[in-house]
Amino acid sequence: MKRVGIFYHKSFSRRSYLTVGRRLADFPGVLAPLLRQPAFRLLTCPEAPDEWILRVHDPTLIPAVEADPL
Amino acid sequence: MAAAEGIADGAFERAFAFIGAGGHHAGRDYFGGYCCYNDVVIAMAHLRATRGIRRFAILDTDAHHGDGTRDLTEGDPAVLHVCICGGSYTSPDGTKVDVPLPAGLLGGAGDPDALYLKIAEGAFAERARGFRPDLTVWYFGFDGHRGDYGDMGLSVRCFLGLADLACRVADEASGGRLLTVLGGGSRTDLATALIPPIIERMGEA
Repeated sequence: MKRVGIFYHKSFSRRSYLTVGRRLADFPGVLAPLLRQPAFRLLTCPEAPDEWILRVHDPTLIPAVEADPL
Repeated sequence: MAAAEGIADGAFERAFAFIGAGGHHAGRDYFGGYCCYNDVVIAMAHLRATRGIRRFAILDTDAHHGDGTRDLTEGDPAVLHVCICGGSYTSPDGTKVDVPLPAGLLGGAGDPDALYLKIAEGAFAERARGFRPDLTVWYFGFDGHRGDYGDMGLSVRCFLGLADLACRVADEASGGRLLTVLGGGSRTDLATALIPPIIERMGEA
């Protein structure tokens, strides 16, 4: 078996992917059978610091995303 | 980013990253298509800056072109980006590839799952093996499933086959290290049917 980290945050089930909002409504509950196996670990996604985002994106992008009504 | 760090640090060989918004349509100074920040490219930049990991092979099987990822990796020879999106392009150095899909994949004669898997295998497997990435990344969108917004006539069988392909390529090319990042797809029933067995496959040796 390979060890697998599963990264999830409860906010993803409330408003996951902006098209429909609740596509992950059944998670993490439906992962319960997997999580009974030692190879699988459920971990909470931490918030990414802005400095990581700015390694890739232009500084104008963060305020633009924050101002988007979606 | 935390998922990529965990693989790099040896906490696990593989990781599945759920998302709150998409990533592959976010470029250097633009975003859209329900993507905000380019999670995959940020993770790669973070690993380069903090772990010295340099080479990445990305298989993008979201139904739509990963234009933001391409924008951010164009000219970077240490990133192989293969996008199964219907475009037709190969960069001069062979590391950026858009793969055409046959007209009529949706509703055409034959088996869309088998056809898509054959195309993905042919476009990615050999290139990745030759590229020798430190980490294989599968950008997994399920919007191409029948009845979702990028409908290509695909079924669960195709996505499980793609998971097997990504795992096999990771074993052969990057020491088993595989990061799967969720992309597009909108239906709750599909997410529930697809994601657990995909993660289970990632755990199989």
